[in-house]
Amino acid sequence: MVEPTVYLEKLSAFSRLLRLKGLNVGPRETADAAQVLIHLGMAQRETVKTALRTVYASSREEQLQFDTVFDGFFLSEEKIRQQAQEQRQKEQEMEQRRREAEQELEQVADSARLNQQQRDTYITMPEEARQRLKDFVERYKSNMERNPGLYSEFIHSVFAKTIMEQQLLMENAGESCLAADPEVGILYRELGEFQDSEIPKAISIIQNIAKQINGELSSKRKAKAHAGKLDFRRTIRMGLETGGSFHRLRYRKKREHRKHLVILCDVSGSMVQFSEFALRFIQSLNQVSENSRTFLFSERLVEADAFQLHNMDSFRSFVRDSDIYGRGTDLGTALEEICARRPPILGAGSTLLILSDTKTIDQNRAVRAVLEAKRQAARVIWLNPIPEGKWQYLRSVQTMAALVPMLSCSTLRELAAAGRRLAQL
Amino acid sequence: MDLEQLKQKMDQAGYVYDDTMATVLYVALTLGRPLLIEGAAGVGKTEVAKVMAAALDRELVRLQCYEGLDESKALYEWNYQKQLLSIQVNMNTRDSDALTRQLFSDEYLLERPLLKSIRAEKPVVLLIDEIDKADEEFEAFLLELLSEQQVTIPEIGTIKAKSVPFVVLTSNRARPLSEALRRRCAYLHIDYPDMEKELNILRKKLPHVDDRLCAQVALAVQKLRSSEAILKKPSIAETLDWAAALDALGIRELTADVLRQTAGFVLKNNEDFQVLDEMQAQPEQHHCSHCQGHSHG
Repeated sequence: MVEPTVYLEKLSAFSRLLRLKGLNVGPRETADAAQVLIHLGMAQRETVKTALRTVYASSREEQLQFDTVFDGFFLSEEKIRQQAQEQRQKEQEMEQRRREAEQELEQVADSARLNQQQRDTYITMPEEARQRLKDFVERYKSNMERNPGLYSEFIHSVFAKTIMEQQLLMENAGESCLAADPEVGILYRELGEFQDSEIPKAISIIQNIAKQINGELSSKRKAKAHAGKLDFRRTIRMGLETGGSFHRLRYRKKREHRKHLVILCDVSGSMVQFSEFALRFIQSLNQVSENSRTFLFSERLVEADAFQLHNMDSFRSFVRDSDIYGRGTDLGTALEEICARRPPILGAGSTLLILSDTKTIDQNRAVRAVLEAKRQAARVIWLNPIPEGKWQYLRSVQTMAALVPMLSCSTLRELAAAGRRLAQL
Repeated sequence: MDLEQLKQKMDQAGYVYDDTMATVLYVALTLGRPLLIEGAAGVGKTEVAKVMAAALDRELVRLQCYEGLDESKALYEWNYQKQLLSIQVNMNTRDSDALTRQLFSDEYLLERPLLKSIRAEKPVVLLIDEIDKADEEFEAFLLELLSEQQVTIPEIGTIKAKSVPFVVLTSNRARPLSEALRRRCAYLHIDYPDMEKELNILRKKLPHVDDRLCAQVALAVQKLRSSEAILKKPSIAETLDWAAALDALGIRELTADVLRQTAGFVLKNNEDFQVLDEMQAQPEQHHCSHCQGHSHG
């Protein structure tokens, strides 16, 4: 009989592993898991797995992470033996292939000139692909002997190209595994990586996020006609008309603190991948806010009118037809123009939302313009499509982040989180 | 109640479930945790709460969420008319403190679903439907109820639950829910049913409908759902409606013509009809095992 503390220790270790994998697991989850196991017992592996998954994972994405950790952690003795056997077989096969591949590479070592990484990829290539390269070397063998200088370069380039294609194939295979479940990852994947079939779902999420962000930036609780509080003064006055009986109540009117929203969107070459979603996002923001102005910029500034923003197709074609799409970036000029226009665009009640990756020419001028915009507007918020993990390597991002609050929006999840954080800024 | 008893009760309630769902429901019940159910529209999320109410023999209290939902619609509201009338009636009273206390007592409190669920003498099943449609503020407001089983009303104080309700929250993932809410809940994701499960549902809910027709309907719905071009995937309720309608029309065979004429039960927009036409224009030659050699267009 195994001591109960042993099970608890194992459960605690399992919780730690899940935490390392990024799941939000605390002592409460571990305690709940222990309680569930007491009730259910541990005879049925699948039941235990489902029960623990219910306790530990709180989203579809976390469920997949959980399954991987569980399958690796709770192994039956038979399964461990089987896995070890498979692993040994795999290693032997790999070793065999490595020997064969190295022999093949020895024959063309001088002309193929492969580095270690390329050699490793060559070993993993399927038999047919390697055979094609061997046939190719065989075909040009006599030419190589006649003119080694000329043909070795040619052979090297063919080998390098084929190996690169193989690397790309392997990376694509990894991505297609991720895309197997369309529900999973849509919130976590970078916006430029969506497939066509996922776009309607992504757009509906973006529209909801835009609604939320606009709610934070402008008015609260639009759905109700009144503030929910009784207006005693008006109720009593109305009551006087009906002999003092309050059969009709009067409520305080909702106070609207609608702020003016100015959106400045970068549609330059570096943002092309993100632009389609940025345009959707802007269009959604405009649909929920009547009091906003949208500007697009690359080397110069263009204002999108409200009519174009109403229809996504006409808005998209307007942007693509304008000569600003996919060009260089000059944030300084765009912001200076916004700040200098009369009547003024920015004011004490306006929020400026900049969607850009911060890459711009003449950064000093851009910094001065951002400071001026910050002085004129009530708030300046920067939404950056570059993942937050890469910000530390980009000087332009660090410079701008020091001036204005910057939120990452490289994935839909981050965009939603940005929406939540806007209220706190 | 153990897992087997729960399964029996769900069987009695006529619900088609798999082992995963039964285990998740059992865990949520055992731990007293709220259950968050996510999945596409029409996979039967709301039905889980109804079935649990029937299985546990509890009252179902439902709160339908929408944008702008607040405490006055979800938790409580003071009966202002009654309060004002009371003030008029007691105008000459000297003890104003007593009057104030009386005005903010239970007598003047209008219970909304959340308050009703925790003040019920017998535990209930509380369904908070489509939580993703409510505002983030409302989501934060729910945290106290979900984790502490209590709510706070400023004029009265904190009200602790007389009985702990079994809370079911549903979401279509129209927006991501906060981590704080997720952490307090047990989680269940429901996918569209596979062919076998859908057929079981049809057999159980429509026992009078011909089995062959059920199989044809289930297969056609599976095909429509598997097409990426279909924008609005048919729900289980729509499948049931379709099968019942075909039966009512006296149809025994789901031919290509019948499919086109009655597809309005499962397809609800013009683009999807066009996709159906394209699918029918390219008939598949293979036969399925469920409908005895019938070929589907």
